Amino acid sequence: MISKEEVQNLATLARLELAPAEVESLQKDISNILEYVGQVSAVSIDGAEPKAPMLRNVLRDDAAREAGDTMAGKEARVKEAFPKREGEYNVVRKIIQKDE
Amino acid sequence: MSNLNELSITEAAAKLKAGEITAVDLARACLAEIEKKNKDLNIFLEVFDDVIAQAGAADARRKAESSEGKESHPLLGIPLAIKDNILIEGRKVSAASKMLENYTATYDATVIKKLKEAGAVFLGRTNMDEFAMGGSTENSAFGPTKNPLDPSRVPGGSSGGSAAAVAAHMALGSLGTDTGGSIREPAAFCGLVGFKPTYGKVSRSGLIAMGSSLDQAGPLAHTVADAELLFNTIKGKDALDSTSLDQSQWQGRTLPLQKRVGVPRHLLKEGVESDVLQKFEESLKQLQAKGYELVDIELPSAPLALSVYYVIMPAEVSSNLARFDGVRYGLSVKGENLFDDYAKSRAAGFGPEVRRRIMLGTYVLSAGYYDAYYGKALAARDKLTEEFKKVLAEVDAIAVPTTPCPAIKIGEKSDPLSMYLLDIFTVTANITGNPAISVPMGMVEREGVQLPVGIQLTAAHGAEDILFTIGKEVEA
Repeated sequence: MISKEEVQNLATLARLELAPAEVESLQKDISNILEYVGQVSAVSIDGAEPKAPMLRNVLRDDAAREAGDTMAGKEARVKEAFPKREGEYNVVRKIIQKDE
Repeated sequence: MSNLNELSITEAAAKLKAGEITAVDLARACLAEIEKKNKDLNIFLEVFDDVIAQAGAADARRKAESSEGKESHPLLGIPLAIKDNILIEGRKVSAASKMLENYTATYDATVIKKLKEAGAVFLGRTNMDEFAMGGSTENSAFGPTKNPLDPSRVPGGSSGGSAAAVAAHMALGSLGTDTGGSIREPAAFCGLVGFKPTYGKVSRSGLIAMGSSLDQAGPLAHTVADAELLFNTIKGKDALDSTSLDQSQWQGRTLPLQKRVGVPRHLLKEGVESDVLQKFEESLKQLQAKGYELVDIELPSAPLALSVYYVIMPAEVSSNLARFDGVRYGLSVKGENLFDDYAKSRAAGFGPEVRRRIMLGTYVLSAGYYDAYYGKALAARDKLTEEFKKVLAEVDAIAVPTTPCPAIKIGEKSDPLSMYLLDIFTVTANITGNPAISVPMGMVEREGVQLPVGIQLTAAHGAEDILFTIGKEVEA
């Protein structure tokens, strides 16, 4: 079973605040699920170089979006969705701070 | 004549075309049914207040088109239900989550744009498992949806509201999304046709992303013909989704049929309830009687599919849902510092199953475990895809039961892993990207109630027409 510390560390990585009871239930759930999905570790990937699996890059033309484009003219709605707004700006917490 | 809301889309389209009914009549019939049942069944999270106006506009458009001698689109004036993770500009879209409870869509999903062009009428947004994570619609932040055929049972999920809306005749058809079976499983539980297109066939632009390499939008309807009509309307390459493709980009086989259906019997030896298996055998016999040859096939990696899915999907979930940080949109909770803002917003906004999958995804992607889980799952995904390709060169389609059992009771499966096992037959098509359809294959009895079950057919990439052809034979 994965430890409480591991669960707590994952929660930090995932930016999730967990209640103490949830740490315990997640310990159990994640361990059970990992035990089941652990079957995949038996898959052999010897020999072959890890190949690019049927994937390729798809790039759009470097062209300005036209008036009929889905996102054209939607700035107002995007701004309306901001949780905290001042005029034209999305208000966020100060991120860059001076090291003490 | 049956009530208008009980018509199939194809039937309603014929009546609209003949001028026997109007779109307003249809919309009224659906709204009346919603009014009657929605309070108990919790199917629609919101019924739009302009439904009659939309229908009126459709009637006006039909009149104008007819006076110009133009053929109207068969979906013109057809009332549809839309899953709550598909964006309709100016309307709320919450993914059944507290995180987006008050979020208004800033643009139309491409599938919505196409339906608007066709003239379909949107009745409202339907309940679902939060962020499409679940197989029962019990994970909605706004309460579970009940199965209209037996309200003590779930409608399936995650597109449970979209399935229940059609099964309860509140809408003639609906759109859902399918990441691991979320269209096909509820279709099976509600006695409907549910269709997941080939990955890339339908644009994902404007769907609230769950697992981006797995997600596809698709139809739920009473008949295969209705599902085909909806699919043909929403499909197509889209500049806004670089994973969408043209039909010409698939080399897969298509019609005419070889009339060979593959059955992977090695996957059915255990876990499927016996009367479900019996119904499955009966529909296979029915196909045989229509001249189909049944072929025993082997898919050696298929037993790994569920494990592969529950590694890849949470990995993509943990990445996709990182955008919900309380800064740009959605729920925002203030904490002591920036980290706290994030952690508190996400804790308050996400329900338990979403948190569980984010944690699991974070685990399988973290240094030290990546190779053992995510790397291996990708390798197994390639293997499985190759096996499907090989088999589907020999047969038209692969048949399995859509689910191992009929609709479960609300609250029956409290352990997450046992809930995941419901997806055992559906996740494969998402992993390999193949198109798959669930078609009703009869009823089984549980506690004195007749409950529907479905047969799932999977075809080669891009070969949707094969599924519609065989699907029609199954439902006939």
